[in-house]
This record gives sequence, structure tokens and C-alpha cells, in this order.
Amino acid sequence: MDKISNLSEDIKSASNRTEITSRRDFFKKTAAISAVAATSVLSPIKLKADDTAIIHEVEWGVKLGDKVTKNPYGLPSPYEHNNVRRNDPLLSSGDSYATVSMCPLHESEGIITPNGLFFTRDHGGTAHVDPEQFRLMIHGKVKKEIVLTLDQLKRYPSVTRTHFIECPANGSTDWRAPQYNNLQFLKGMMSSAEWTGVLLKTVLDDLGLEDDAVWMLAEGSDNAGNPRTIPVEKALDDAMLVWGQNGEALRAEQGYPLRLLVPGWEGNLNTKWLKRLEFSDKPWHTKEETSKYTMLQKSGKAIRYFWINEVNSVITSPCPEKPWTDLKKGDLVEVEGLAWSGQGTITNVDVSLDGGDNWVEASLKGLVLPKSWTRFSYIMRWDGKPLLLSSRAVDDLGSVQPTIDEETSKQGVESIYHRNGIVTWEVTSKGEVNNVHIRKHKA
Amino acid sequence: MYILENTKLKKIIAGLGLATSILLLSGCVADKEASAKRAVDGGMKYEIKNGKYTSYHVNTQETKDFKYGRTPTKREITAWDIDVRPDGKGAPMYDMKHGVVVLDEDGNKKVAEGSVEWGNELYDAKCAMCHGDFGAGGKGYPTLSGGDIKSLTNQLQNPADDVPTEEPPRRAIGSYWPYASTLFWYIQDAMPFPNPKSLSNSETYAITAYLLMENGVTIDGEELDEEFVMNREQFLKVKMPNRDGFYPNVDTPENPKQGVENITKFLGDPSNYGTGTRCMTDCIKGETPVLRIKNEMNNFTPPASTVRDLPKVESKAGSVHPGLAGYEANCSACHGNAAIGAPVVGDKAVWAEVTTKGLDKVYHNGINGINAMPPKGGNMDLSDSEVKTIIDYMINASK
Repeated sequence: MDKISNLSEDIKSASNRTEITSRRDFFKKTAAISAVAATSVLSPIKLKADDTAIIHEVEWGVKLGDKVTKNPYGLPSPYEHNNVRRNDPLLSSGDSYATVSMCPLHESEGIITPNGLFFTRDHGGTAHVDPEQFRLMIHGKVKKEIVLTLDQLKRYPSVTRTHFIECPANGSTDWRAPQYNNLQFLKGMMSSAEWTGVLLKTVLDDLGLEDDAVWMLAEGSDNAGNPRTIPVEKALDDAMLVWGQNGEALRAEQGYPLRLLVPGWEGNLNTKWLKRLEFSDKPWHTKEETSKYTMLQKSGKAIRYFWINEVNSVITSPCPEKPWTDLKKGDLVEVEGLAWSGQGTITNVDVSLDGGDNWVEASLKGLVLPKSWTRFSYIMRWDGKPLLLSSRAVDDLGSVQPTIDEETSKQGVESIYHRNGIVTWEVTSKGEVNNVHIRKHKA
Repeated sequence: MYILENTKLKKIIAGLGLATSILLLSGCVADKEASAKRAVDGGMKYEIKNGKYTSYHVNTQETKDFKYGRTPTKREITAWDIDVRPDGKGAPMYDMKHGVVVLDEDGNKKVAEGSVEWGNELYDAKCAMCHGDFGAGGKGYPTLSGGDIKSLTNQLQNPADDVPTEEPPRRAIGSYWPYASTLFWYIQDAMPFPNPKSLSNSETYAITAYLLMENGVTIDGEELDEEFVMNREQFLKVKMPNRDGFYPNVDTPENPKQGVENITKFLGDPSNYGTGTRCMTDCIKGETPVLRIKNEMNNFTPPASTVRDLPKVESKAGSVHPGLAGYEANCSACHGNAAIGAPVVGDKAVWAEVTTKGLDKVYHNGINGINAMPPKGGNMDLSDSEVKTIIDYMINASK
């Protein structure tokens, strides 16, 4: 049988839900009404004839607005007050210091996160470093040890690059089963920015490394310090010392005045409030890389130094917070999402309407950059029937985002970190959206 | 009529045939030509070509011989270089402060050492309020002891194995941590949580010894008793039970680069940790197994909402209490957390009871300590009047 012609038939059928339903009728098996209601469903504004918003003068059109001097530093519209980072006390060590706040991905546009919405992960609260007392020390196996002030460091030639930062625990609550019906909490431990700073290679080429300088320790000046070990090869590849975030100084929550940026790697390696880089021939085995950021496997042994954020994707529209409850049967609608890989550049994203049985390739949108969020888009006509919407990303290394079973068959469910299994949204006939898992389980 | 098209996939099909392209994609991983361009994480390595790094334009002028900064002094390096490695580098011989050795009353170098017994006293005074008695946890902060290395294989494999094992995997110091060096370093640098960098090297050795004792860690086959004194020499002998529980092997002193190469090799092969296949059609054999949320987690701060309206105007009545900042910095780690057992600020009933014996008694307890709470919450830098102001805030916020 000609596999290719067969495939083209399936592409057509994937674009047409009726055919899929007749062939597999998968939804009959999953028709039980979900116990979970969509978390927040907007009631759409009903447009009536002779709309008062059109025929009457609106309040802001008949009086003076704010003076230009009102907000020397601009703020979002007050109507956007729900577009904020959120926290779940269950994810912290019983306090609001060693914890995480989630980026509102459901309201995120493009591939840049506004600085006030960038997710935060602190180990002992947000430090406020006095830039006058900031010092960066580089020592150990370098030919010229050095101490720099912030102004001196900024004299090095700068580069500007767009990269995401993702906590390796992003999505970790779903190792065993779906728990959050909410995109912000399922995938919000990541954000993206345009970073400005100096390539670490520029500084190290200038200072000179000893031949046996293989490892680098990066340490912050905050109360936790969060020391981490990084191979010199990464430092000389694309790592940066960054002071700029989306055109302004780093936010305090992102390590003002200086953080390390290791593109594509675990968020906690991007040391905030950076104060010290030491070079050595041995790794340090810091607390966070032994007791915490290690992945316990089925064998009882744990993987350490798992640096990379693997190829990943999620559909951001629709999502539980942004459902299709305003859509009518037959409406044309864009399925949009984010794909990213810490090891390369996104090359393809596939979308499935039936939970991963059949796939079509989506279009990439906008800038496609290495180790960066990449937007994808698939426009479809919704027939008003239930869907299981999934996305699957591929990068230029050839790595393909795994199904949940493909991932757990290797790792079990105790890894905590680096979960990148395919995300599936169940769209009900009412247009509500729920987080579900397509995985083998007991009925 | 709107027709859904999938132009990119058509290109793949026209050019190669999908079966071939899938082979190419998966074959890529083992491709030797590709591995030459691999980065240290096994991923793609991009080079600057024709003045560009991928899509970014680059200034390719010479970037050497900048003259910024100055050489750090030895004392500056000593003050900051307090990390401790598994090979013993950085485990202090003497008590150090501000980059120099601390001298005792006779002017001799003060040896850094501490007994299990002293460590126990220090732990009870400075650590137990968060980590529980004997490191047993239960206060909302990490559990420090208990469990066995054997528990690490007790795992739920997926929701199909919905039967709890007798003991879940425990990742405490004795059951999981591979090296004692990280224990000493972390306590020295980042503990006690609200008051880090306040312990001397000797105090840190003592607490380390106590925690190793609670975890049943032995030295030269001997259990640590109350009189055991930890110092650099003893510390270097500690071998943790789970020291062989991690991979890839990165401790390759005979060839430092080998450790890095071991990781590159591991990460460069996604089949080591789970990878997908780019199946396009009829990918699920049998029924599509849909697992829905059973126990939804939705206790969010602030609550989830996508409503676009004007925010409720907060009452502007009253200004910020002068004790708030001090409370946040010194007290809230315990008094903001019900699990700790300290009177939680905002709990009217509890604070009504606290204040029954009069304000002076509350001040006295705050300044001198009570139950698990150390004097001034452990921050002796606070003056008595600062503590009183903080207490005023705590009482005020709990009315």
C-alpha cells in the first residue's frame, strides 16, 4: 500500500472531524462529562443592534485623559489587572520566599514576556542589590583573576539575544496525572526576554583560561547564593553575563544588576544577583545539583547535570483560561501556541485534533530563533464537536517531543524535573477546555 | 469555501516522502557528521558565518586586551571563596571571618571543630522550628533525615500502579545526598533560612555532625556519638550511603574533560530519557486513553481570573506600620506559616491568647525567646525596641 497517498487522505480527514469520528469514533469512549469545569469562562459580549457603545458618546471620549506627567514609568491599563503572575502555596516550602510565581502564558503575546510578568523563582526571596556595591569576581583557573564594578563590566562590547528561561520543574505536577486545569500553572514556570549583556567568551578570551579549566562555578550574592556548576564549554559557546532585559535594566526578580544567562538550560543555572565565577578542573556538586535538581529514575539511581530543557510545546489558544465558549459551530478559528527547545531551533510543530492519533503540520509564525520561544499557528473550522487538541514540536537536532507514555516508559514518574510530554486540551462541545492526559492507565 | 491546507507537509511529501524524512530525523541522532557540530549539551552548535550568528548580525572585530577591573586581593578571594567540594577543597581548618583566620584569646588560630552534642543544641535553637525535631520535617520545610537508600526504588510507575508503596522514595540527607560537602557548604552559606551566613565554621561543623548522626552516617564504620567532634580531618572521611546513586560519572580527576564528555554523550542521545517519533497518522493503537483530572489543584494567589474590569479600590485608610518591614525580614518565615507551630499573624484567636498576660510579657518572650523560638527570632542584630515595634505590628495585624 502506498503509505504517502494514504497519508494525504488522513491529512484531509484530520482537517475534517466528521471523518475521524466515523473512522475511529474515539470520542464515544471518552464521552463522560468531565468532572472539572473550565476555571474561568468569559461570557462573551453580546452585540445588539444600535449598540450604545457606538451610538452614545463613551466616557473617555468626552473628557481629558491623564496628564503626560502622571506616570513617569508607564503602567498597564487598569483593566488588565488580572494579567498577573500567580503563586500556589503548595509549590513553596511553606512560605513566600523559597517559591515560584507563574507567568500568565494564557495572556502572553508573541515571544517576549513583559518584565513585570516574567516568572520568578527565588530560593530565599528577591534580593535588592545596590549597584554601587556590586562586584563581580572571576578567579581560579584563569590566567588573570579579576574584580569588576558594574560600570567596568558594561564597558565590554554587548550583544542582544532573545532566549526563554524555563525552570526544569515546569509541568512537574503532571508526572502522575493531570492536576491543574490551567495553562498558567501547567507551563508558567517559563518566560522569554530579549537579553543584553556581554558574551562570557569575550571576557574569558580576554582573561585567558588555564588548560585544565573545565568547570565553572557561578554564585549569586543573595542569601541563598544558589551556586551551580557549568562546563567551560558552555561558557565559551553562548553563555552571557546580562544586565539588560527587554530594553531596560534587569528586574530585581531577575537578578538585578547582573545574571548569568545559559541559553536553553535549566532556569536555576541562570544565576541571579551574580557575584562570583570560579574555574576549576573538578565539578562542585552543590546542594541544588545533588539533593534537588537531579532526576530519580526507575532503577533507583538519579540523573545529575541534566542541563537542557528538552524540545517542548503547548497550545496557548485555546486553553482552560481562554476557551472557545464564544464560538459557534462552523466558526473559523486559529489554534495558536508556543514551541521551544533548549538544544536548538524549532523546525516543525504538528497539531492533532484527536489526541495524537492523526497529526497535521502547523505553520511557524514570526521570528524563529535558536533556544527561543517560537509561535505556531493552525487555522481550522470548528464543527462544534469535542476535540482532543495536542501539539508536538521538533527541533533541528531531530528531537521530537515525546508522548507521555514514551517519556514515562524511560523515566518512570519520580523525575520531578524535565517533563516534556505532549500536552492535550480536551475541548468540549460547549467550547470549554480541560487539561487531560493521553496515557495508558487503569479505567 | 475555506480549505485547510498543510503546505509544509506537502513539501516534505513531495521532496522526500514522509517515511524517509522520519528516518532522517531519527537517524540524525547517531549521524557522525552532525555530532561534530554538537554543543556540550549534545544539542546544536551554531558558528558565526559571514558576520552572522544564526539570524543575529555580529560585530566580528577583535575583542581582546581590555584593561578593565583589577586583580582581587588574596583576602578578597578568601572571603568569597567559601565553597566546599567533595574532594575537601574549601573544608575549613580554622574558623574564618572576613577573609582571615579567627584568633582565640591567646592569639592562636582557632581550630574549626564542633561536637554532635553542640550541634544538637544549635539545631534545636536555630533549625528545629523549620525542619522539625531530629530533622524529621513536618513543618513545611525540607525533611533532613529518615528513609533509606533502598526506598529510592519504591516508585509509582504511572497512574496504572495506583497502589501506594509501603514507603515512597525518600530524598533526605542520608538516603539521597551523595556528598557531605554540600551539606556543610549549604548550612554555612545559606542557613538558618531567615538569618544566613551567621554561623561560625565551628558551629557549622557541629550542626553537620549532628545531622550526619541523625541520618545514621558512619565514619570509619563507627556511628557518631554525642562526644564525636567534627573537624576538617574527620569531615574528609565521611562517605555518604548514596554516593554511587548518580550518573553520568562526572568525577574523572585523571582526565577532567572526560566527565563533561560523559554528560555530552548522555544528553546527546534522547533515547536515554525519552523521545518521540514523528508519526503522522494512525499513531494510537486501540482506544485513545484519556485521563482526566481527579483532584484539581486551584488554590491560587491571586485567584484565577481573566475578567477585564476596573480593580476594586483598596482602602487607603491607615499608613504602613513601622514594624511591617522588620516582620517580613525576620519573623514571617515562621509566623506566616501555620505548619511551624508559631502563632500565625492574622489568627485573631491565637493572638488574643498570646496577649492575655499583657503586652510586657509578649515583649519579654519576643526578646528572650520562648519554646522553639530563639531570642529575637534568631536575629541578635535587632535592638529591643525594634523587636517591640515588630511585635506591635504582629498584634495589630492579628486584631
